[in-house]
Order: sequence, then C-alpha cells, then structure tokens
Amino acid sequence: MLDLGLLAFTQPWLLATLIGLPLIWFLLRVTPPSPKTLSFPAVQLLLGLEPPEETPARTPLWLILLRMLIILLIILGLAQPLINPTAVLPGNGPVVLVIDNGWASAKNWDSKMNAMVELIGRAEREERQVVLLPTAETSSKRRTIVTAPLPASEALELAQGIQPHPWPIDRMNALETLQNLDLGSSAHVVWLSDGVADAQSDAFGQSLRRVGSLTVLRDQTGALAKIVRPPEDDGLELVVTVERAASNAAETVVFSALAEDGTVVAREPVTFEADARLAELRLQLPTELRNRVAQLTLENETTAASRYLLDESSRRRPIGLVTTGGAQQSQPLLSEVYYLERALEPYSEVRQGSIDELLARELAVLALPDIGNLTPEEQERLSQWVETGGLLLRFAGPKMAADSDDTLLPVRLRGGDRILGGALTWDSPASLSSFAEGTPFAGLEIAGDVKVERQVLAEPSLELGDKTWARLSDGTPLITADQRDAGWVILFHTTANTDWSNLALSGLFVEMLRRVVAVSQGVSDGNADRIPLPPLEVMNGFGRLVAPSADVMPLPAAGQTETPAEENPSPGLVVSASHPPGFYGEDIKQRVAHNLADQLPELEPLGPVIGASAASYSKSEEIDLKPWLLMAALLLALADLLLSLFMRGLVRPQLPSAATILIGLGVSAAALNAGDAHAQSLIDEGRALEATLETRLAFVMTGTERIDAISEAGLQGLTRILRRRTSVEAGAPLGVNIERDELAFFPLLYWPITADQRTPSAEATRKLNDYLNTGGTILFDLRDPSATARIQGQQSQTNLALQRLTANIDIPTLEPVPTEHVLRKSFYLMQEFPGRYAGGNLWIESSNTQTNDGVARVIVGSNDWAGAWATTELGRPILPVVPGKEAQREMAYRFGVNLVMYALTGNYKADQVHIPFILERLGQ
Amino acid sequence: MPIQQRAEQIASALPPLLVEAEHVASTVAQGVHGRRRVGQGETFWQFRRYESGDSPQSIDWRQSAKSDRVFVREMEWEAAQSVWIWRDTSPSMAWTSSPDLPEKRRRADILALALSVLLIRGGEFVTFLGSGIRPSNGKTTLERLAKIIDHGDQDNAGLPPVMPLPRFAQVVMISDFLSPIEEIEEVARSYAARGVKGHLLQVVDPAEELLPYDGRTRFEGLEGEQSWLLSRVESVRKPYQQRFKAQREGLQSIAQRLSWGYSSHRSDHSPNTALLALYLAMTQDRGR
Repeated sequence: MLDLGLLAFTQPWLLATLIGLPLIWFLLRVTPPSPKTLSFPAVQLLLGLEPPEETPARTPLWLILLRMLIILLIILGLAQPLINPTAVLPGNGPVVLVIDNGWASAKNWDSKMNAMVELIGRAEREERQVVLLPTAETSSKRRTIVTAPLPASEALELAQGIQPHPWPIDRMNALETLQNLDLGSSAHVVWLSDGVADAQSDAFGQSLRRVGSLTVLRDQTGALAKIVRPPEDDGLELVVTVERAASNAAETVVFSALAEDGTVVAREPVTFEADARLAELRLQLPTELRNRVAQLTLENETTAASRYLLDESSRRRPIGLVTTGGAQQSQPLLSEVYYLERALEPYSEVRQGSIDELLARELAVLALPDIGNLTPEEQERLSQWVETGGLLLRFAGPKMAADSDDTLLPVRLRGGDRILGGALTWDSPASLSSFAEGTPFAGLEIAGDVKVERQVLAEPSLELGDKTWARLSDGTPLITADQRDAGWVILFHTTANTDWSNLALSGLFVEMLRRVVAVSQGVSDGNADRIPLPPLEVMNGFGRLVAPSADVMPLPAAGQTETPAEENPSPGLVVSASHPPGFYGEDIKQRVAHNLADQLPELEPLGPVIGASAASYSKSEEIDLKPWLLMAALLLALADLLLSLFMRGLVRPQLPSAATILIGLGVSAAALNAGDAHAQSLIDEGRALEATLETRLAFVMTGTERIDAISEAGLQGLTRILRRRTSVEAGAPLGVNIERDELAFFPLLYWPITADQRTPSAEATRKLNDYLNTGGTILFDLRDPSATARIQGQQSQTNLALQRLTANIDIPTLEPVPTEHVLRKSFYLMQEFPGRYAGGNLWIESSNTQTNDGVARVIVGSNDWAGAWATTELGRPILPVVPGKEAQREMAYRFGVNLVMYALTGNYKADQVHIPFILERLGQ
Repeated sequence: MPIQQRAEQIASALPPLLVEAEHVASTVAQGVHGRRRVGQGETFWQFRRYESGDSPQSIDWRQSAKSDRVFVREMEWEAAQSVWIWRDTSPSMAWTSSPDLPEKRRRADILALALSVLLIRGGEFVTFLGSGIRPSNGKTTLERLAKIIDHGDQDNAGLPPVMPLPRFAQVVMISDFLSPIEEIEEVARSYAARGVKGHLLQVVDPAEELLPYDGRTRFEGLEGEQSWLLSRVESVRKPYQQRFKAQREGLQSIAQRLSWGYSSHRSDHSPNTALLALYLAMTQDRGR
C-alpha cells in the first residue's frame, strides 16, 4: 500500500505501467483514420484524379488525448486509489471482532454491521485473519460461538449472518470461549459494543485488554436503546414508564399503543426532562380501547425492550355483577344493581349475570349485592374462586342482616342490623370517619354529607381492627376486608342502594369502588393450570413478532410471568435464547406475554475501558475510487466508440436529438400533471360545499359554449318551474366537468350530446360508472329529432357521438318508456315527452327494481329539452319550439317536473301508482 | 407495385402525346399514327364507288353484288415498324446514392416499359433487344416484357450486343453510358450501318453528375473496376464534373453524327419528362 496522506494506492506496482503511456501515444499518432468507403458507378471517371495537395491524414489531437485519458483511468483504477485512507489496524496478529448482539444492539444495527464489514475489509487488505465473537447466546442449542481465525472473506460471510437477538448478552461466557483460542501476542481486538453496561462489562473490558490492543466502539449516549417498563394500571390511567440510559438533554420520543392487529390505539409524545432518566406517560383510554391494547411501543426504536406486550392479565379488570335472585327488583332504578353498575362502569368492564354464568368466564371482581342465601354449591364455588385470586365484593342488606350464618364474609356479623337516626332511636345518622393510612382508601376525601342510617355490625374480635378499611364516625366498621389465599372478601356493611345510606349517591362511592377493584389481582379464572405454555409468537432481535423457531422452549407455567422485576425470577422464566420475549400460550385468548423489560436492570451507559481506545460507529471517510475510475474509463471508451463510428459516417447524428426530445416531453408531461393535481385539490372543497348545501340540478359541460349556456338556462328555467309548482326547491343548476368534478352530489345529470365532445378518460368513465351504480340518473339528450328512431344504429353524428362517449360506461338494457311507467305519472300524467322537438322516442332502462331503488339509471332521448326549458332572466323563452305552440313548451316543462320527481323520489312514486289497487283491495 | 402497373400508370399520363402523334400522323406516310387513310395494308378501311382507273382487282364483288353499283374495297395504309428497346442491366445500374431515390436500373426499367406501353398503344411492334421475343403489338407482349423486367437478370455488359435487325427498325438504348465513348460509338455505328435508327437515353444518378461527397473517401466500382482513394473529394469535384460533361458531350456528338436521338435523365427527376422527351424524339424522327 502506497500512502500519500490524502490518497493511497493499494496496488502501487500497477502504476509502473504508466511508463508505457508515451509509447501508446506514439502508436495512436501514426495510425490514420480509415477512410470511409463508397461504391460509385462512375469510378471510371474518377480514376487519375488527384486533389491538388495531400494533407497527411492523422488522428485528431483531441481523440488521441481522449484515448490516453481512458488508458490512464484504467491504470489508476486498477491501482485502487483510496481517498482519506483509514489508518492501519494495530498489531499484526488476527483481528478479533467482539460483537454485542443482544437486545440493545438492535438499535442502529446497520451502523454496527457497516463497521463490522468495514473492519473485515481492512483486515482483508492487510491480509490478517479475523475472529468473530458474538456475545449473545445463539438461538440454537450451542452456546456462544467463537470462530477460529478465518480468512477475511470467509469471516465476512459469517459476519453478515450475525443478527441481533432479543435477549440479554452474556459477555463473560463469551470471553471464556475466546480465551480457549491461541491468538498469539499481537492480536487486535475491536469491541463493537451496544453501549449498555452490565455488572460484567468492566471486567470484560479488562479481559479483552489482555488479549491484545483494544478498540471499543459505541454509539453516542443519546442514541442508546430505550426500555418501555411494565405499565401500571391505577384503575383510571395506564401509567407507562420509559427509561433511557443517558440523562443529559431533554428528549421527546413518540409512544404508541397498538391493538392486536397493529392499528394504533393511542399515540402520544413522551418527553424526558433534561437530567431525567425516566419519563412517565399517563394514558387515559376508554375501557373498550384500553382493552384492545396489545403492545406498547416506542416509535423509531427497534429493540425488543422498546416493545412491551400486554396479555389478558393486564387488561382492565372485568367485574361480574350478580343480578339474579333478590337483586332483581321490580323497581330497577332503585335496585342495588343499578347503583353498582353506574358506579363501576367508568373504570371497569361490568358483566351481569348469575354467579354460574359469571364464573364461567375470567373475572377479577365479583360484586354480590344483598341477594340472600347462597346455595352450598354456590358458596363452594365462590370460596374456591376467591382462594385462587378472586375478589368478592359484598354488600349488606336486610337479607344478610336476617341470616348471618354466611361463611363468605370477612368478619363474623351479629344478627340483625343497627338503625341509626330512625323515629325510634336517639342517634342521628352517622357520617364517615376519615380513612386510616394503610387502607386502600387512604387519601380519599370524606364527603361530609354521606350519612349511614342502617348497617350490619361485626362481632368484635382481635383482628377486626386489621380487617377494617373504613369506619363510621362512631368507630363501627363500615367496610371490612379479609384476604383468603390469593383472593379477597370485602364487605360493605351497608347497602349498595339508598335504602340504608346515601353513600351510593356520592362520588366517593365511585372512588371507593375503584380502589377496591384496584386491589384485585387481575383476572382469575379459578382454575389456573400448571401446564407449560408453548410459544405462540416471539420477537426477533428488532422487536417484531414473528413465528417462533423450533428452538424456542415452552414457558414452564402460566400466571407467574407477572412476577415483579425486583424479585428474582425463577431461571425458567428469564428471557433467554430458549425463551425469547413474545406471546406464549395455546391460543390468542389465553396467551401470556413474556417481556424482556421485566427483568432488565437499570439502564446504564457503558463507561470507558481503561487502556483502550474508544471510537464511535460513525462511518469512515475512506472512499475507494476504483469502481468510479473504471466506470469513467468505460463511459469514455463508449464515447470513443461512438465518435469513431460517427467519424466513419456509420452513425447519423439524429439519434441523440430524438432522445433529448423524448426526455423533454417526459419532463414537461410530469410537470403538467403535477400542476393539474395541485389546482384540483384547491377547487374541490368549495365546490363540494356549493353542490351539497342545496339540491341542485346538474348538466354535463360539453365544451361547446353555446350548448352549455342553453343547458344552464334550461335547467334554470326548469328549476324555476319546480319551485313554483312543486315542493322541490332546488338551487341554481351547476355545470359539471366529468373529467374533474365529483358527480356524487347530484341526483340527476343532464347530458347534452355533441359530436365534438371529448371521449371521457378512464378515470371519468370509472366515476360515471360509480355514479350510475350508486344512485345517479343520467338523461342523455341527443338534441337531434331524427336520432332516437335508430338509436342502436349507426346513422346520425350525435348517435355516433353517444356511442363513443358511452363506450365504456355500463349502459343497462334500454326500452321505450312503457305506457304504465312511473315517469308518465310521477307528477303530471303524460303520454308524450316533447322538448324543443316533439315526437322522438324516449328510451329508459328497462324496469329493474333490484338496482338503484327502482329508478332508471339511464334515460336517452333526442328532444332537446334544455332548449325548451331555457328562459331568460325574465322568464321569456329563448328558443322556439318545433313544430310550435307554447302548449308544447308546457308539456316539456311537465316532462322536466316528472323527471326530477322521478329521480328524487324513486319508488315512492312507484308505490303511488299502485294506490288504486291498494284502495280497491282495502275496500273488499 | 408491379412494374407493369407502374409503367402503365406513367404512360397513361401522356394523352397530349397521342394528340401530338396524331398531328404528326396526318403528314407522315409511315408509322402507326398516320394510318387513318387509305393505303396498303391488311385492315379494311372503306368501300367506295368504282372510278375509272381503279384496278379491277380492287373491286369487292360481294359488296357490288348487293346493289347495282360497283364498289371498291379500300384498305388502310399500314406500315408498322419494329422498335427494339435495350436497357442496361449491368451492376453499375443497380445503384443509388440515397435511399430516397430509385436505383438507376429501376428507373431504366420503368422507362423501357412505359415506352413499350406507349408504342404498343400506338400500334408499333415492340420487343426488347436480346430477349428472343419477336416484335409484336399484342397486349400479351407487354406482359411478357414486364415479366422479363421483373425477372431482373443481370449481365456485365455495359453496352448492347450487335445484332442483325431489320432495316428501318428502331433501337432505343437506355443506360448510364459510363463506358468509354469509343466503345459506345462502335456499337452505335454498327447498328447505324444497317440503317437502324436509334435513340440513346442516358439515366444517371444526381450523385454521379455532382459528386456531392467530401472527406477522405475510397471509391469502389461496381463492376470490378479499380478502386480509387481520394483524401479530399471536394478538391476534385470540379475536374470530375468536367469529365462527366465531356462524357455527355461525347454521347451527344455520336447521336448527332448518326442522326440518332439523345436525351439524358437524372433519377431525381420525374420519369414522365424523360419519357416525353424520348417519345417526342422518336415521333419527330418519323416526321423527317
């Protein structure tokens, strides 16, 4: 390698061939260009003719220079010059690449990959061997692999196969395998770190130092991976904590909650304050949306820890409300069920039903109003459910007071109830005393106006004080709770309705219930099985859910993945190569989320390793000029070839100009299109408002000014008549450009056909078809009295134009308007449909009640109705009617009225036709 | 388009030629265009009353027997001659300087056939020299001639073979006449010695007349001539054009000396002009 500072040549010996250039120069000079050859019959006459002076034929100088340049470029290119060559790797033994490919490395993986490839490229140039050491476990059974010293090209193939894994790295383990290798004394170690420190990272760095000279590559602290910590549900909001490694500058990341199918349920920015490592997001979602959330992710983060998976256990807790038995009352608005439902609904999902029905599904809380005696089976079932984690919320009442033998109570009750403040008592109704610290209600504000008139009393006992969560002002327990195994039994010593107290009317009741629900353990289906859960979907290194590979082992048991992070999780449940994060379970309903973030320690950036040089993953400035030089040489050689051909007259110079024209056309067409689209978006909104705020008649603009003016005047005249005679109060008619405008706003389109209209484009045709298929009606007017007699024929100009314009439009089967057709009766009774001309046939879609509400989509005629309808501003007719008589114009107006009625009312008018028959039948 | 059609198309555009020919015919005792009068021939012309001095052999007895008078049958005077057309089929004719122009050979073929059409329409006996077909004025002759042309045979002789032709036959030679003047004169003389009238029609390409090339160019002949390399063609354009003119003047002087016709045609001009000129030359010749 020849190093010239800014420029270096990898194959400098090739530069020696530059000596040969002058020789080539000489050779190129002596060869004259070959003459063009022409056959010529009159060559006899040319024989002997000589030009007066013979200038020596030589290759032009510029051509020689061009060819010299080509050769120069090839030689320089083969010598492989490098701009800004990177320094030589230290040492001369093998190059050891230690690659952190755990979860945190997925962030900026590409730059790590580039660095790896570049390092291997440098090793290849220096002809050094390469050792690859990924620090994360591989997904297969084998432990971390280290390669033997490999030639660089082989190492490159292997390196390109290295992928980040969604589990943590195990650096010391990797180190052991490295130390088994004999690397000589002058190895160079490059540690492509993920920038995240762990307990072993310092020791690991020192050990690498002992292997050889060490370079540590790491990302900028701000660019390290972030973690979405397990969310907490405080009943109202979902609190998500996001953690970052660095704590220097303020930073905002975008957080989104995704549903099962990947749709975004919520998307909020999360802002890290400067110097804060944690950022908190409170996500307030309606229950339905809240329960759809399946993943919490950070946008632009591609690590397994930036995506937190939610399963059934973190759903908002469903609450069962027992509505059978005594709870069902004749006055539903006074029933306990009603009050409970209203109080629970804001924060939880409430299900109603009998105990059996409710327990058949997963349930967090079962609210049991005072329904009287439970059967032994029900008691048995309930207590079993409570022991496996359920929360049973009971309310006292007359029935409970009458029968205190119930075992499903937190405390033993005295028989009977206590009445405060009745007609026969001295006491006044008691209010609540403030909530004691340590109870779930701590911190709630007491509503002063809450009065309890009646309650059930607990038998005094030693543990009564511990079990009491709320007391009345006189110290008697109002709410008691008892934990049984994993579950709770909680009793409100008063009713859930207003019979015994007005607690149920206060906002405090809602808050108290919310706290109670928050106590529950989440869903418990009462029969937690202990079978291993097979993997359903697991994350890959970039945090995307993929189908699990065969190496993924089932999770040992369900229900235990919620183990909080601070406790030491059992080894089987740690995220590892055999248990990558993801969903586990038999099916989607019962799956369990296995999250990496649960077990990750606090995120800390990797500190500098003493005695090692540090660098970042920024791309090196080295540029290899070889391909560019060779490409330039190739292009010049092609140019030279073209020039030689041109000089011999074999290529004509027109070709490039044709190409230029083509390119120019393409560019200008693109520019035109862009301009058009821009203008269109500006028009649309105003026009849509204009078209929809009033019912409007519309006509298709033909592009012929005179005809468009008549169409507009005609529809204006018809609108005036409609306003005067019918309840149709339409706005001023609008002209429609079928290429550009939206048609959907108009119930009826009047389309005068002219021979010189432009054929609709594919887009316009599609719009017209949509319009016809979704309720539109088009009246085609041929404006030519002779046309419709041969409507399927070939004869008249307008007929041809109609065929051309509607070539791709789905025109249904047409027939002359039947004698009993609605169009003849929708307002006036009509036999003929004259316009400016009389007599022509009117063709209409053959009646088909299936489509478009029975209204014909297409009506074709030739009588130039707009011409007959057209009036000036003062209401004077513009055009004469043929054959004459104003009576014909009146009939034309009547046709217009009938048509608009028909288009607007659809089969309503068709039904009117049947009225005589209906009346006749009713009369019988 | 088949060559016959094309030739007929060109020929049909020449009615004024026939008018002119008719005018000539009234004064010329020979040839087809002068035959609308009594004379020796085979075609019936008219009956007329016998007058003293008429040969008794000329009395048509059948006609005379139909009435009391004696009628004489008169025949139309007819003295058609044969025209022998020769067109150059050497490789040098199969050449054109630009794809927009027809080959000289093609132009020569069209002219030959168009001339045949005109002549046959006028009743002349026509054939191609060396084709082996007897001169005839039948419609089929035209087709046979067209077939010969379509066959497209080529030979290397730049000049017609000297063949014994009947006296007073006419020979039309269509060629680029780029052979040495002496050789052309020798052939023409040997025909003229037999009393054959002739016409020379020189068909040339514009490039042959103008030499519009420049630069370093090697010229190669089409008939195996020596090739010639010119470093700058533009510098020899003038002398070449003089040589070409000399060739043309040589041809003209041959025609003058033998009182033959000579005309020249460039393939970028309309063939009709050339045909008219040629035909005029032939008909005027008759008038002499």
